[in-house]
Amino acid sequence: MTGAALDLVFREASGRIVAALASRFHDLDLAEDSFADACARALEAWSHEGPPRDAAAWLYRTAYRSAIDMLRRRRTEQRFAPELQRAAIEEQNMPDEWTPIPDERLRLIFVCCHPAVAPDARAALTLRLVCGLSTREIARAFLLTEPTLAQRLIRAKRKIAEAGVSFEVPGPEAWPERLDAVLSTIEIAYGRAHEDAAGSGPHFNYAAEMLEVTRVLAELLPREAQTAAIAAIVRFAEARRPARVDAHGMMVPLADQDPAAWVESLIVEARGYLERAISLQPRSPRVLQAGIHAAWCARQTLADPPPWSEILALYDQLLTVRDDAIVRLNRAVALAQVRGVDAALAQIASLAYESLADFLPYHAVRADLLCRAARRDEARLAYDAALALVTTSAERLWLERQRAALTE
Amino acid sequence: MQYMLLIYEDERIYGPDRESPAARERRAQHIAYSRELGPTRLAGSGLKDSTATTTIRTAAGKQTIHDGPFAESREQLGGYYLIDAPDLDAAIAIAKKVPLAQNGAVEIRPLLVPG
Repeated sequence: MTGAALDLVFREASGRIVAALASRFHDLDLAEDSFADACARALEAWSHEGPPRDAAAWLYRTAYRSAIDMLRRRRTEQRFAPELQRAAIEEQNMPDEWTPIPDERLRLIFVCCHPAVAPDARAALTLRLVCGLSTREIARAFLLTEPTLAQRLIRAKRKIAEAGVSFEVPGPEAWPERLDAVLSTIEIAYGRAHEDAAGSGPHFNYAAEMLEVTRVLAELLPREAQTAAIAAIVRFAEARRPARVDAHGMMVPLADQDPAAWVESLIVEARGYLERAISLQPRSPRVLQAGIHAAWCARQTLADPPPWSEILALYDQLLTVRDDAIVRLNRAVALAQVRGVDAALAQIASLAYESLADFLPYHAVRADLLCRAARRDEARLAYDAALALVTTSAERLWLERQRAALTE
Repeated sequence: MQYMLLIYEDERIYGPDRESPAARERRAQHIAYSRELGPTRLAGSGLKDSTATTTIRTAAGKQTIHDGPFAESREQLGGYYLIDAPDLDAAIAIAKKVPLAQNGAVEIRPLLVPG
């Protein structure tokens, strides 16, 4: 077996095993270190005969034993009696050949996304522990240096250990707060992956991981509309990925994308999640957002008119439950198509500029509307503002072309 | 685990001698809250006005005595509770109920030595 194939075995097993160890020992470092130790042992043990039939179970047993050894070693180093006691108790529960690995990933997600953990560390910690991404991969996805990200993870883990963050899934009374921290973490993490339209950058694998995390979350919390809605949103958005960039690497706006290039299987899956979400809580913001994606993904061919009226109606509904600048900005795009450019520009002019000055879509949308209103000089300035903020090459190419077309 | 709850408020709303109606009302709330906590509360008290504070600063090993608190800020440390809670979530639930003015903060600090 090649090193890459083994890496894949390790990665696929890691989330579940680290979660099981963490909730067993209530110690994230111990869980990570003992899993790493088990992988190192596996490399040696499997080098001749290849991995055993149930490689994950082997890794779990080995990591579990290694965790107990580590607890013992801590005792001899620090003469820490409680650790020895714990090791002895845990030893009695040692998994054997037939013990299934308990699925504790939900618990671990709630630990990683606890509101007491720094917001900028939550997504990274979840990707590291629950998805098994390496520090290097996460650092690249978040555009940070590896040492900076590693520091952030260390601080977050220390906080969890020292503040006494619970390893229990919170009760329903705490859910509005706790589940929202989990879901917004996923949204932030997915936003990073989605920005990279070409999918060629470091975010590529990471988008696949987001499909997995949202699947797990929706499976573990089947009665929550929000988890189903977010699973639907990620799938609808990922389904369109192949059509988001043209042959020259330039971004293709949603209304110009060829639906034939969208991934049908992901759209089907997404619709399933959306139906569940609608049956549970049809008017929650995330469910309405998923509905907007669904309306786009219902388009069959480029010859069909884009569903602008339906999109506008959905944004009107969304506005009644979530009224903020981003929703109003997105609504303005549909408004321009249904009621004309002037109505949309008036809508945008009413937004608080200060909060949006560094928000690329604000300038890009505004530039496009000004261009269509034949207000060329203002449009040019808006394109300049957008180009000053753009980070991906696909969008840069598109904005540059739009700006160049103004002077023709 | 044992946690320290440190209460920060703008003390001006209570008046310098802590005898304003607002101060009396808050005091009554703290008495009721303490009773509700029962054995979870290990210790706790309000603190006198920050103008009563004396700070000993040490710089390069040399001690100097100053009038006033260590950190000047709009909110001041005005009281504390020492509580016993199984984990952070339990401590958060308890801290959320600490009687507080419209604006303020409660800091939750785990004790170094596990109780």
